[in-house]
Amino acid sequence: MSLIMPEPDQLTLDNSESIIADLRKISKNVLSEEEEKAVYETDGLSVHRQRPIAVVLPETTKEVSEVLKYCYRNNIKVVPRGAGTGLSGGALPLKDSVLVSLGKFNKILDVDFDNRCVITQPGVTNLSITGAVQHEGFYYAPDPSSQIACSIGGNISTNAGGVHSLKYGVTTNNVLGIEMVLIDGTIIRLGGKNLDPEGYDLLGIMTGSEGLLAVITEITVRILKKPQSVRAVLIGFNTNDDAGNCVAEIISSGIIPAGMEIMDKPLIIATDNFAKAGYPRDVEILLIVELDGTESEVDTLINRVLEIAKKNKASYNRASESDEERLRFWKGRKAAFTALGVISPDYICMDGSIPRKKLGNVLNEIASLSKKYGLSVANCFHAGDGNLHPLIMFDSNNAKELKKAEAFGADILKYCVKVGGVLTGEHGVGIEKRDLMCEMFNNDDIQQQLSLKKAFDEKSLLNPGKVFPVLHRCAEEGRVHIHKGKTRHPDLPRF
Amino acid sequence: MSGTYTPNNQEEISQFIYDSYQANKPIEIVTFNSKPIGRSIQCSQTLDLRKNSGVIEYAPEELFIKVKAGTPLIDILEILKSKKQSLGFEPVDLGYLYNGKSNYGSIGGVTSCNLSGPRRFKSGALRDHLLGFTAVNGKGECIKSGGTVVKNVTGYDLSKLLAGSYGTLSVLTELVFKVVPEPEYAETFVLYDLNPKKAMEAFSVAMKTSLEVSGACFYSKKNTEFLRLNDIDSSKSVTAFRIEGPKKSVQERIVSLTKIFKEIKEKTVLELYQSNLFWKITANLECFSNSQNLVAKISLPPTETAGFISQFCEDDIMDINNKYFVDWAGGLVFLEINDKDPSYLILEKIKKFCKEKGSHITIIKANDNLRRTGFFVSTSDENIKILAAKIKQSFDPKSILNPGKIYAGI
Repeated sequence: MSLIMPEPDQLTLDNSESIIADLRKISKNVLSEEEEKAVYETDGLSVHRQRPIAVVLPETTKEVSEVLKYCYRNNIKVVPRGAGTGLSGGALPLKDSVLVSLGKFNKILDVDFDNRCVITQPGVTNLSITGAVQHEGFYYAPDPSSQIACSIGGNISTNAGGVHSLKYGVTTNNVLGIEMVLIDGTIIRLGGKNLDPEGYDLLGIMTGSEGLLAVITEITVRILKKPQSVRAVLIGFNTNDDAGNCVAEIISSGIIPAGMEIMDKPLIIATDNFAKAGYPRDVEILLIVELDGTESEVDTLINRVLEIAKKNKASYNRASESDEERLRFWKGRKAAFTALGVISPDYICMDGSIPRKKLGNVLNEIASLSKKYGLSVANCFHAGDGNLHPLIMFDSNNAKELKKAEAFGADILKYCVKVGGVLTGEHGVGIEKRDLMCEMFNNDDIQQQLSLKKAFDEKSLLNPGKVFPVLHRCAEEGRVHIHKGKTRHPDLPRF
Repeated sequence: MSGTYTPNNQEEISQFIYDSYQANKPIEIVTFNSKPIGRSIQCSQTLDLRKNSGVIEYAPEELFIKVKAGTPLIDILEILKSKKQSLGFEPVDLGYLYNGKSNYGSIGGVTSCNLSGPRRFKSGALRDHLLGFTAVNGKGECIKSGGTVVKNVTGYDLSKLLAGSYGTLSVLTELVFKVVPEPEYAETFVLYDLNPKKAMEAFSVAMKTSLEVSGACFYSKKNTEFLRLNDIDSSKSVTAFRIEGPKKSVQERIVSLTKIFKEIKEKTVLELYQSNLFWKITANLECFSNSQNLVAKISLPPTETAGFISQFCEDDIMDINNKYFVDWAGGLVFLEINDKDPSYLILEKIKKFCKEKGSHITIIKANDNLRRTGFFVSTSDENIKILAAKIKQSFDPKSILNPGKIYAGI
């Protein structure tokens, strides 16, 4: 599949061998054989593949600094990579780039319960942080579904969320400090075990910057004490509108659930078949609401939620009576992507965020687009924070279906923007949604973001071709984007 | 162009900045002049944003409010209160600090200072609640970022950068804030007569429980006179913990705290009204009301705070006696420094301490001389200043917006 990326620099390609030799003087972990590089040729957006000149796996911040300094002096592009689980192609190598993998930065450096934080290297997985503190009853709040595999450094790059972000925030609300290396090799430490920045909030701008501003080599995150009690309730509805109204009423009644998830019928059936979660099969929409706090608080809130559900014509409800039952409620939802893989050869996972009250409209629009394109779709939705993941099913053996699925996906995202939402809630722009940026931003907006990029990386060597349209003016890119619609929204891995 | 210009809307703001950019004329940005914070600005033009005011959209069920940046913060709080909602960062009224009486200022001003109250350590800073904005950069161009939704990773998160940039990067024109339900009920558990070290230990113990403490502050015994609350004994040091939520849950958690601190004899519980008053006084720094001295805030890892206090705030043996209090469960110290030390040697010592302990100091109130010649925030890493200068240039290439407000020359 064609993808417009920055033009490779011929001089760099011609000098590949000497570049590899120079890199070996800096790091003992330089991969240059084709089969070694194959592992790194793609990330979670596996339809695009490209091998870099070399892959470097530095072991220290100093090594990262030396590699970047070398690349900066020699005008070589650099692509940083965490665990490679990203769904938007943010870690896709460029042909004339050096890929810097943080895979060897895999240690937790300090667990500090008194200051309620953990200092870790960026290659550590999200779930390992909770693993390191749970014996004292603490946990790290952001919980993207890939948390068993995704790295905390990658989480910062995409400002990863999860199912509990309405109450506990996304990555940016849970990071206290980082050490980072600029493209010219400068090492800078931001924040630490204290709160709020001195001067500009550079930590805030680094979070969600998709590897375009600096390479992160150390991270301090805050940890939270686990709540005393957690319960969940399953609520079924016969229409999208009833479910949407129930969600809105729960929120406006002053309840902030720890998690609030919605699945539509195709996904209820698929996940229940797969995970035996015990979901009701005669409802059109299923809502899972999780509440946490002290025992009496949770019991009170569960009753309030059930009352609101009844008022909004819920046809089914069940509150968990044990932690086993609560975990069973989640088992289906958490297996959504895997379960769908069983019923469809391929699917595309979209990631728009919308105002909660537009949920009914958006689901209805998706249903009519599904008819228009002749492709099935299943929907899961982080209803608490408005983050929608429509899963468009198709068969990649049929080239026409892939093209249709991509156009379908783009139409959903455009509709999300139209109703006041955004292109991506938690997966990042990467290369996948790069050409849709002009749906949300005008030329001045994009130019300001590009100017900021230059403050960090004047030569645009760090992760070029990502996030922003390759042609810098939206008007020009708009033309390209209309003619070359086929370059967007490829299929995704199933993990 | 000179004097004060008071535009009515974003278009007029944009035109004024564009003209100033063309003419290389710097601008001081104000709304209600409620917060003389940051370094002094020497320029002939003032941009007054008070007319760019009003609520654009309030969606209680969507948990956001969109406002023009010149809107008085007090108006926003009243509108939210009518729907039993509030701003989760617990807005601070610094009017008491600067002028001895309430003056919340504008929402744009508070955003530019990233001012957050006692709930910050639990619920995040102002910047964590800012979902999106529209602004005018130093070239007069209107720019936007973010939106009305909580989860959003579409482009750089410029909201974080503009919050706390003291008007040096762009002039904010519209802001979208996340709103939260007001707590149903609250009480405050008070321990008396702890020394600073014991108080910091008590914070650590409470923060390791799942009792969801949403405020934790300490007033030393020399700084409690102003706490004129019926249920507070202001002759002793006060270590306070706020608990919020449904009434039954709050009372259960207060019982739990009482059990945890059963060894400490002198304690009390402030019920809803007194509790709310206590935290309002604390958020608004009323202990420094109309102070004539320099006031600074020092952000610290909580485990370093007891050491900081004994060096710079209170120590009988060393005869150190500065007025101070501790907020954010030990993570923030507010300190008053007497003018009798005109060269402010103590500031240099604090900067050194901050550099060693991974913390920083911000001067929130200073006399004119210090605001002209001294520092505002302590940034020990020159590379951060270099990066800050480049970022400033990327938004404001001719350095016409509040020049020098954070760092001299930037």
